[in-house]
Amino acid sequence: MPQMNLAEALIDGLIWSLRKDPKATIIGRGMAGHGPEHHAEDRLKAEFAARIVDPPTSEAAVAQLGVGAAMTGMRPFVHYGTAVFAYEAWNQFINEAANVHYMSNGQIKAPVTFHLFHGIRGGGGPQHSGSPYAMYANNPGLEIVMPSGPRDAKGLIRAAMASDNPTIVVQHALLLGLTEDVPEEDYMIPLGKAEVKRQGKDVSVIACSRSVVDALEAAKELAKEGIDVEVVDIRSIAPLDVDTIVASVRKTGRMVAADETYEICGVASELIATVSIHAWSALKAAPVRVARPMTPVPFSPPLEKAITPGVSKIADACRKACGR
Amino acid sequence: MTGATREVQLAQFERMLRMRRFEEMVIRLAQKHEYIGRQHLHIGHEATGSAVALAMQPSDKIHTTHRNHGYVIATGADPGRAFAEILGRRDGLNGGKGGSWHLCDASTGMQSTSAMVGGSIALATGAAYGLKLQGAKSISFAHFGDGTLDEGVCYEALNLASVFELPVLFVCENNSKAGQRPSSMLAAAKLRDIPQALQIENMIVDGADADAARVMFAQAAERVRTTGKPVFVECTLERWPGSHQVTAAFPTGVTDLALAFEQERISGKHAEWIKSYDPILRATRVFVESGTATRDELAALDARVTKLMEDASAFAEASPFPEPAAAFTGVFA
Ligand SMILES: Cc1ncc(C[n+]2csc(CCOP(=O)(O)OP(=O)(O)O)c2C)c(N)n1
Ligand SMILES: [Mg+2]
Repeated sequence: MPQMNLAEALIDGLIWSLRKDPKATIIGRGMAGHGPEHHAEDRLKAEFAARIVDPPTSEAAVAQLGVGAAMTGMRPFVHYGTAVFAYEAWNQFINEAANVHYMSNGQIKAPVTFHLFHGIRGGGGPQHSGSPYAMYANNPGLEIVMPSGPRDAKGLIRAAMASDNPTIVVQHALLLGLTEDVPEEDYMIPLGKAEVKRQGKDVSVIACSRSVVDALEAAKELAKEGIDVEVVDIRSIAPLDVDTIVASVRKTGRMVAADETYEICGVASELIATVSIHAWSALKAAPVRVARPMTPVPFSPPLEKAITPGVSKIADACRKACGR
Repeated sequence: MTGATREVQLAQFERMLRMRRFEEMVIRLAQKHEYIGRQHLHIGHEATGSAVALAMQPSDKIHTTHRNHGYVIATGADPGRAFAEILGRRDGLNGGKGGSWHLCDASTGMQSTSAMVGGSIALATGAAYGLKLQGAKSISFAHFGDGTLDEGVCYEALNLASVFELPVLFVCENNSKAGQRPSSMLAAAKLRDIPQALQIENMIVDGADADAARVMFAQAAERVRTTGKPVFVECTLERWPGSHQVTAAFPTGVTDLALAFEQERISGKHAEWIKSYDPILRATRVFVESGTATRDELAALDARVTKLMEDASAFAEASPFPEPAAAFTGVFA
């Protein structure tokens, strides 16, 4: 099996999507980011130049270019680069794309995919560090996936492009260089299926995106202290795989919710609510939340570090959940 | 030429030099402190930025885009505190919370840097509305690039300024040139067709010509002050080869005023930019050839400005990082 970094894997997923479906089309540029991995995009451009358009800086209308085209039967992949640029298209995501199917009583579908790079990234400051997926998840009608690694990124992009619904794929800007074995052939990972990324018996860390990577790192550290951590990657917040999450917490009896969206109305809070409702009796201790505190992201490195969820905060949360 | 003109020309030139030497120091700081990341430098736009700053009255307001450093310095912010902000230090203009992309200084009317394309144009329109409501005689300035005209909000802001008759001067730095990767993609034949369609008085100026830009912005600001209505100025600019650099470098070298006269010493890939475009060298030549100033006078001024930036940078590098707890303060007023 070849090794791919996340940028290469997501491009591979796109290439398979375009090969398999003549209706798939791409709007955007810099699909593999602007960092050292950006060359991954070359393969896509070489094979499908005629099916890619590079739009002006017009995020709101570009969203509707995708949604409107999707409503005619195309399957556009709309790339925004930095996630916050899509704030310009708030109405277009929430009010238009998400409502199309419902308010037409199923007559019209909008199989569009939006692609964003989110997260606290080192120097992004208040306006370039946003992680909007919790805000998107606060609305019905959107599928929202947050891959934590290359293999998932490829399979989830394929599933997003094949889905009949508007789907938002949110990648952490700092994970693009992450490398692992990725199957060369075409495959999909169904939307709404969580995966247990590490088996453990003492505490369940329920996480997504970069927090999964951090949780796996924290688990190694905690193993040395005799704490056996289970890491569950939810992979999508909508749909949410309640069964896998609940089964894990029932097994360990302890829960840490780790995610980079804000504490208030964020993904971690939703996960704790879900477990409290469905597995209350299995909990041996209060759930612990690791999330972005309610402050904008400061530019200065030590300040940014202070607000970033990460390995040591997740490890501390696990200790706390285990009464250490 | 009158003595008054000479004085204002030299004042403009000093601002241009400050802007240039500031940016060159930013490149050095970025080379030394990699964490400060990507910088959008204003090199090559100094004639425009200094002209805008000179047209501002003390209570006027300005909003800028990511290509902001020049405006911050030209409008009079302390360069040491500006460097400190770019380095994320405690003494920074924004206490380290904003960094390069959000520099501001309320004391000079430099209200905000928005790093979102389309941010500054609508904010400045709002500033004009606020100033008008308060009966102030002041006006606001919107600095933005041609890329802002790609955004729908640009059309909306221009329209609002026109229908509400708001005292805002739209400063469009058009550095999008055929042959390079353009920073905008506009169907309009001329960029100024857009304000024109919205009944906004508009003009065009060579944004690298210090005299022309200064005269143009003085007139345009006067128009806005007397009519209370918006004016749109398109400044044609040629992109500096380092304007999108990912790693900090000096593609056109460190500015050397002597090169204005010793052109045979200029070589390399970007020789043409230095020889015939660089607005600083261009102004230097005009000064000396017209007898406005001698080479020695200009060199002495440059040495003073260079020293000022060295001291300012040393101040910034000596400034400590803020305490981590500062991350949580100031979320609310
Ligand atoms: C809303 C939004 N979309 C996209 C970007 C990414 N971006 C940063 S600079 C830039 C180009 C801006 O061009 P222009 O306004 O002409 O300024 P220039 O850099 O050419 O001076 C873009 C698209 C952004 N910052 N904000
Ligand atoms: Mg431009």
